[in-house]
Parts: sequence; structure tokens; C-alpha cells
Amino acid sequence: MINYAKEPFSDEESLAVLNPFVRKWFEKNFDELTPPQKYAFKLISESKNVLITAPTGSGKTMSGFLSIISRLFDLSMQGKLEEKVYCIYISPLRALNNDIHRNLQRPLEEVLSAIMKEKGVKVIKEGIRPVTIGVRTGDTTQQERQKMLKHPPNILVTTPESLAILINSSKFVENLKSVQFVIIDEMHELANNKRGVHLALSVQRLQDLTDDPFSRIGLGATLYPLEEAAKHLVGYNGSEPNDCTIVDGSWSKKLDVIAKSPVKDMIYTDQRKIEDATYAELDRVIKKSKTTLIFTNTRSGTERVVFNLKRRFKYGEDIAAHHGSLSRESRLEVEDLLKKGNLKCAVSSTSLELGVDIGSIETVVQLGSPKSVTRAVQRIGRAGHSFKATAKGEIIVLSRDDLVECTIMLDAALKKHLDSFTVPQNALDVLAQHMVGMSISKKWDIDEAYNLVRKVYAYHQLPKQDFMSLINYLAGNYVGLESRRVYGKIWYDEAQNTFGKRGKMIKVIYMLNLGTIPDEVAVNVMVMGTKKWVGNIEEEFLMKLKPGDIFTLGGRLYRFENSKAMKAYVTPAQATSPTIPPWFSEQLPLSYELANEIGQFRLEFSKLVSQYIAKKKLKLFSSKSKIPKAINDYLDKLPIDNNSKYSIYSYFVEQLLYAKEVPSSELMLVELTKDLSEERYVLIFHSLLGRRVNDALSRAFGVKLAEELGTDIGVNISDNGFVFSFEDRPRLLNEKMINNIALELAKDGIFTMLKRNIRNTELMRRKFRHVAGRSFMILRNYKGWKIGVSKQQINSQLVLKAAEEIDPNFPIIKETYREILNDTMDMPRAEITLSKIRKGEIKIKMIETHFPSPFAHNLITFGHADVIMMKDRQDYLRELHKRVMKKISARK
Amino acid sequence: MILTKDIELLDGLPIAYIKSLNALIVADLHLGYEGVMAKRGSALPKVNYNKIIEMLTKALDKTDAKQIIVDGDIKNEFSTVDEAEFNELFDFINFAKQKKVQLVLIKGNHDNFVERYKEPFKLVVHRQETKIGDYLFFHGEELPHETKGVSMMIMGHEHPAIGVINAAGSKEKLGCFLHGKYGRTPILVLPAMNYYAAGTDINFHARNDLLSPVFKKTNVDKMHAIVVGYGSTIDFGPIGSLRNL
Repeated sequence: MINYAKEPFSDEESLAVLNPFVRKWFEKNFDELTPPQKYAFKLISESKNVLITAPTGSGKTMSGFLSIISRLFDLSMQGKLEEKVYCIYISPLRALNNDIHRNLQRPLEEVLSAIMKEKGVKVIKEGIRPVTIGVRTGDTTQQERQKMLKHPPNILVTTPESLAILINSSKFVENLKSVQFVIIDEMHELANNKRGVHLALSVQRLQDLTDDPFSRIGLGATLYPLEEAAKHLVGYNGSEPNDCTIVDGSWSKKLDVIAKSPVKDMIYTDQRKIEDATYAELDRVIKKSKTTLIFTNTRSGTERVVFNLKRRFKYGEDIAAHHGSLSRESRLEVEDLLKKGNLKCAVSSTSLELGVDIGSIETVVQLGSPKSVTRAVQRIGRAGHSFKATAKGEIIVLSRDDLVECTIMLDAALKKHLDSFTVPQNALDVLAQHMVGMSISKKWDIDEAYNLVRKVYAYHQLPKQDFMSLINYLAGNYVGLESRRVYGKIWYDEAQNTFGKRGKMIKVIYMLNLGTIPDEVAVNVMVMGTKKWVGNIEEEFLMKLKPGDIFTLGGRLYRFENSKAMKAYVTPAQATSPTIPPWFSEQLPLSYELANEIGQFRLEFSKLVSQYIAKKKLKLFSSKSKIPKAINDYLDKLPIDNNSKYSIYSYFVEQLLYAKEVPSSELMLVELTKDLSEERYVLIFHSLLGRRVNDALSRAFGVKLAEELGTDIGVNISDNGFVFSFEDRPRLLNEKMINNIALELAKDGIFTMLKRNIRNTELMRRKFRHVAGRSFMILRNYKGWKIGVSKQQINSQLVLKAAEEIDPNFPIIKETYREILNDTMDMPRAEITLSKIRKGEIKIKMIETHFPSPFAHNLITFGHADVIMMKDRQDYLRELHKRVMKKISARK
Repeated sequence: MILTKDIELLDGLPIAYIKSLNALIVADLHLGYEGVMAKRGSALPKVNYNKIIEMLTKALDKTDAKQIIVDGDIKNEFSTVDEAEFNELFDFINFAKQKKVQLVLIKGNHDNFVERYKEPFKLVVHRQETKIGDYLFFHGEELPHETKGVSMMIMGHEHPAIGVINAAGSKEKLGCFLHGKYGRTPILVLPAMNYYAAGTDINFHARNDLLSPVFKKTNVDKMHAIVVGYGSTIDFGPIGSLRNL
């Protein structure tokens, strides 16, 4: 059963469970217990499964470790501590491992020397041994590994991938039989991805190897829903989750947050002035605070901000950038400078969001929306290092949509509403890998193996049929008998209901190819028909491109034509603006929960504003208009400055005066209008659901609309909606047609149709390669050969076709579709949205406008939406806005 | 599709039929492909052999041919005969025997060691290039030597295809014959029989990037792409006009 720890234990109760020397050490070094420690010391000393969430700087690591250290010193003083592993600590971040090692070394040494001091020579007589700690990662040398095999540390610090190797190393496993505690740190990093699922399987397999059950301790920053995370940590027993106590310290730090608009009028203020105001605000915060941490959402943004701050305000070495494209050394250097308090300000994209100890930060500034409440809380939570401090942070917004989004985000953070994560369920590729791993350890009874797998939360509902399809795949049963020796990774004896490893090579293959992260590769961009190389893009980005998409590279515009293996072919584009922004794959999608809360706000606030418009018979709006009192009072409750209040208010008034409707959580506005620059017709679905849901929804609507209208249509997707474009005005189109399509989609479901739609896409081919790699169908490392990504990629389309001919439910194909539809896109919530439309909880309304309504402006200019190229985008926006305002005033 | 008085391209199949020789002409089977790939770490589903047999069975039903001329690369490996290859080669020879057709092999660059099996299996094996009737068969990795009195040169090796970009955004490749002139002599390039050889999309490749030296001597843009797929065989016109699909 999962339950929450309610009342903290008294300090005396908590400290009483500790070994006296450990207790003395703690009391000497800390004045008091932090909130998570008030629960954790006692719970962990009782060997309970515990999930602890708390912001950075709240003594989370110590709360997990201290009772364990205490237990080990107890054993040592009884002369019972052996050269065995008692505790495994796993962190997804390698850098954190060295941190932990350093941080634990000190207490271990100091406690030992206190014991030695008191006991003197009796230490030897009583067989008191030091408690040891060791790190094992991919970087550990062969020599160190050998040493560790003979003299295993009591506390083993490792990564998920190294753990997977250790549990398959027949010699080292002997050292793991004694494990009593497993700590998984940074749970929020492992919650919603295959890496976390992979680790959960490793931990369950470890459980199968140890003499006694061990307790599982999960540590994480903000993470919701906690019950999900707890189940992911402790797993299932039959249809019930195992016991786990949740210590929720996520909110132990107070938040002081605000969304700021750099200027009052976000539309007509000159771009230069907006920039000036933004940098002036940054400068003000940096000067006022002891240390400032600035988050931009992209790596290029990080560099730009550092450059500008230095240029404008004569900062020097006291400002530094920290992001994923920098070398490891320069990142470590920045972290070190921060820790020592030698930096005034650090600017980061995402890399400083979690983990690594960076010392004390006074204020966090976020430029543009971080796209999720959880992320906002995590980032702002980096401010105020002690658990008693208040985390101070502000978000400087970039546009009016951004403003509404950030306002609601911070409001939700203050109300403690977080967005949720989903654990990928029944990922077949990760499982295939582990089944190979299991077969290497011993011969398995099918049901025994299946039952073990079902103890993992991510597989607790795995159909037996799927498990068997993997057994058959791995046994090479899809090829003739004579080839199984080459194809089969395992043997499967149907009569005996058993399976085991096939061949001697398989262990080496397993060790060299395990893991869930696909090879990262740069794709070469070439001008079509020539050998001219123009630059590199990331594969992630390539997966998002459709032929005809225009993007920037090295300051020039190119049209994407096609791709082959690891090459993308382009032609120089004549267009004025890109259709896809360069950070498209880097940008995080808006979370569904936050999207919903924004929809709620739009609903409430637009009601309020429309009442006012009706009462005052307001027909015209000018920039001098004052905010009416009732509305001002409402806005006052939100964490925003005065500029922002004005911007939000004018945004809604303009939309209502121009289009009469504001899209919201109960209204999906569909707007047929004309794009200014391209002279195309566009159909805008104002569906504020986040990009992942919109990706699925737009494809479903797109296919149906193309069928009904008999034309080709282009589509652009963003967090706030999706846009179809047409060469000519679609005459047959009307509200009824759209409604009928929605009802039909709700009735028939969209699974089959989406499958067909993504079947021939770049996304499908590349994801298939990743899945085929993870399931060992196409090996990256084989017999000393590293097989290049382009070899892996080539022909994946044909392999796909061949596999489908053999069995349309071939597990590798099934998993590829599952990953795309459920992890990349969010089909389940797209279906929920459709069923809401069917039930009338969301209404569809179609309007036609001469030019896009204010709420559509950011959707239309999406491709232009890079901060660097803000200038063009603003001109365009301004032009749109001018026309809207003219139309509104003409009506008078 | 009727190509000449004497040559028919069988609809929907990468196979040519020559009446005067009463022979099916195929190239680039790469038997044993999946087995060889599996040994290199890619466990591709086995489909190639069955697909080839399926296609040849159809062709034999349609034509009553008494010979199958394999214009190079019956098997995949360069240097050795792999076990998987051997098994499929053996099955293939048996298939021909059952169907009562004579196998004629033109050696391709992947066909070393085939000669070893010439005697026991009573195969007709020709090295490099050979004239049968007034047709010149050669695989294509080298230029032909003797073209005098040849009514048509027939080669494989290149795995020709054309690329078509579909609405969903990815490129689909369709195998094709190439038909044109080499100097003054007509030439026919056969598509690959192998299932996994998606082919080289000729319309997306510059002339210099093509595999066979033959294309250095002739303008591929003037050659017609005769596309095979979806049950039919259709002339798509010269490659030059397909460059901007």
C-alpha cells in the first residue's frame, strides 16, 4: 500500500535511531533536522520503502543516507561488517556520482576516527572495519573493476547502465547478494522515460538475486503524481503495489515568484526598446542579488544573453554560460565557480536545472516560458540554498501568449498544482533487452520470468501474449529453424516452458549494446544535387521536418527536400521566413495540465471582460484605456507586475471585440482566415492542449479534412493550436463538417488512422531504428565492429515492410507505434479531448475573419518565433495587430 | 510491357523475357542476404528467398521459359560462400530443377566461388560477359569489351530505382529498368531482384555518383525509367524529366 507520512517524528525520536557516533557527528555538523530528515531517519532505519521529494538544499541526500551509514557502523562495531555491498546508490547523472562520493567520504572518515579515538586499540580486537564507498560507472578502469570485484565497497555508487552490467556479471553478483538498501536519486529524471523503465527492471532483477528483500529509497525534486512515482519505485505484488511511505517535502521551501512584462505595450514598443528593457531588468536583478541564475530555453539563447550582458553592462568573467554543448571541463569549471561563490551570474539552458550542487543562488530569472509548472518550480527552487530560505524567482515573458501562460504557471505553482508525468507502459524494446540479460544469468521457467517482469510497475499489466511475442522474436522463431542459430538470442523450449541464452557471443553482445539512449548523431545537410555541405542539424530536428519545410541554418534559409540515412538534402529557399523554428526540437512541449489551467483562466477571465464590454457598450479600445476596477481586482490576485496586467487585459478585450469569442477549456474555436504574407487561406484550430496532444489531433483532423475537401493541406503544430493551410478558399468547409469529423473520430478512435498516417514518415523510420537497436534487432556494437548509424538507418523502411509482412504485430513494430503515439505524441489525451467534444463538454465553433484574430497571431507567426529573429516577427505581428484594430474601430 | 519485338518486361515483375532464347532474365538476387547480415549484427526478417521464388514462379507460369539467365550477383558475399548462402543457393538450384529450367549464370562481382559448384550442379557459368543469341550479357561492374553485332546489351549491378516523395514526407523508391543507348547499341539495365535492395534512386543521383562505369560513357538522363511496382510495369519517361519530382 502507498501511504503518506503525516506527522514528522520528534527530533529526539529521529536521532535516537542512529548509532551514537553517527548521531554525534550529525549533531556536531548540523544545527537541526531539515523537514525530510524529520521523517526519513526513522522510516529508513526501520527498513521501510520510502519516497522522498524535496527541493535542492533540503538535506535530501543526507536524509536518505544517514540511517544507512548508521546501520553499517552498527554492524562494524559488532564486528559483523563484511566486504560486501550493503547499499547501492544509483543516479542518472554521472557528475552527481562523484559529488556523492565526495560528500559521503567525509562523514565516513570522521565517524570512523571518532570511534578509533574512543576505542583505541580495541578497534582491532573487536574487528571494527571502516565503512567503504566506491564508484562504478562507464568511466571506471578495468583495473579498478578488478579491484572492486575482490574488495567490494559497502556503499556502491553507480549509474542505471552500469547496474545493468553488474547484475549480469556472474562474479560480481556474489557481492550483491547482501544488498539491504537501494537508493535511486533524481527520480524525476527517470520517471517518464525508457531509461527509468530500464532501471526499474534492473532493480527488480537485483531483488531476485539478493538473499533478503532490500528496501528501496527514492529521492527526487518536484514530481507529480507522487503515487505514480512511488509505484514506479517499489513495484507491484500481484494486483497491488508494494508498501511505500511518501515523504512529501516538495513544498518545504516558500516561493516568491512573479511574471514580468518588460514593457507595457508588447505590440507597439520597438523591438530594440523591449530588448533594452529586458536586459535592464536582468542587470537590475544581477546587481541586487548576491548570485543570479538565468534560464533561457535554448543553448543559442544562453550564449546570446551572456554576450549581451557583457557588452551592455561591462560584466567580465563574473558571468558565465553553462549548457549541454559546452565541454565537460568548462561546465565543471562553472559549477565550481558557482559553488565557491565566485560568480555573479550564470546563464543556462536546462543543464543547471537539476542535480549538481551549485551552492547558494539568491534569485532565479527565467526568460520565456519554461512550459511546465514542475519545471518552473524546479528551476526557481534552485534559489535560496537553505531549506528555510524563500526561493525567489521571476519570469520575463516574450509575448502576450507567453505572458498568459507564465502567469497561470506561477499561479498554479503557488497553489501547488503540478503537471503530471506518465511512466511508459509495456515498452517492449526495453523488456526484450532485459529478457536477453535474464537468459544469460540462468535458465528460466517462462511463468517465473513473466511474473518477475510483472512486479515492475511499468509492466504490471503486460499481457502474456506480448511477453510471448518477445520470447518468439528473441528465439528467432520468425525465421526458419536452420537460421535460428544465427538469429536467435535465446532458446525457447515450448514443451518444457523454459528459455535460456543461445550461444557464447550473446553475453558480449548484451554488455556492449545495452542501454536505452540511441546513438546521438549529427545529420549532414547538403545542397541537393551537389556535394556542397552547409552544416549539421540534430536527428531530433530532422525527425520533425517535412519536405517543403523552411528552416534556418548558419543564418540562411533552406527548404528541406528529403533525407537519406544521415544526410538531409535541401535547396536554398527564396521565402522570407522559416516555417519551423530552429529550436523546435529543443523546445519543451507545454504540459497538458498547464494547458488546461490556462484554458480555465481564459474561460473565467473572458466572461469577466465580456460582461464589462456589454455593460459599457464598449466598441473601441485604445492603448490609453484604463483597467476597470473589478478586472484589476481579479488580476491583482495573480503573481504579475503592472505592465503584465495591462497586457493581459488588452489582449482579451481585443480578441472579444474582434472575434466575439475567446477559445477556452470549453470552447475550441476554429477560425478560417487569410495569412497576410503568403496569401494563403488558413484554418486555425485554437486548441490549447500542448504540442503532444495537438500533434495527434491535428493529424486526425488533417486526414479527414483532406478526404472531405479533396485537397492537399499543410499543417503547423504548436502548443496553443494547429493551423491548416490551403491554396484556395475551401468552399465546402463549414462548422457542421468539422463537428461531424470530430464526432466520427470520437466514435471510431484514432489509433488505426494515426498508424496509417505516420507509417511513411521520417519519424517512423528513425524511431524504428531506435527501437530495433534497443531490442537488439540491429546491433550497434558487434564482434568488435561499431556499426555506423547510417548503416543502421539504411533500409529500415524495408526491414519495417518485411517485418510487417511476417506479422503486423511484430513486437518491434508494435513498440515503435506505441512510442510514437504515446510518448512522442499524446494520443490518449487526444482521444479524451474528442470524447469531451462528443459529450458536449467542449464545443466547436467556427468563425471566419478577414485576417487572423489576436489570439491567432502567435500561432500564425510560429515559424518566426525565435528570440533572435524577434525583429521580423514583431513587424509581422504589428501589421496583423494594426489591421485588427482598424477593423474594430471601423465597426463603430 | 512489350519492349521490343523479342523482349517483354513482365508486368509488375523485375524480370525480362526474351522470346528467341525462351529465357527469363534476372539480376542481383543476393541469395543468403539476411543470413550474412545476421552475422554482422542485423537480424533482418527472412523474406528475400521466398519473394524471389514467388516472382519467378509467376514469370514461369506466364511464359513457359526453359532458361533463367542470372545476369550477375546470384549471391551476396564477396569472398566466401556463407552457409546461409549455400543453403539458399542449393534450394534455388533445386527449384530450377523441379521447374525443368536451365540455370545460366553470368558472374558478378559477388560471385566468386560460384564456379566451385558448376560441376556438381551442372550449372552453365559464364565469366564477365557473354553473348547469347545476339544479346550481350554482362554484370556491369566493368565496361563491356565487344559490342559489335549486338542487338541489345543487358546488365544488372546498378540496382536502378526512382525516388518519389510522398505526401507524408518520406521518399519512396520504386525499382525500375533503364532503357536507352550505349553509344549506338541499345542497352537494358535490370532492377535488382533482392528484396532489401531498395535500389539507387537514379533521379536523385548525379551521373558521377552512379556505381557502374557504363554511366560514365552514356547519358543516363536520356535513358527511360521503366518502373516496376504495384502489379504493373510502366514507362515513366527519361530520367532527365524525373529529376524534379
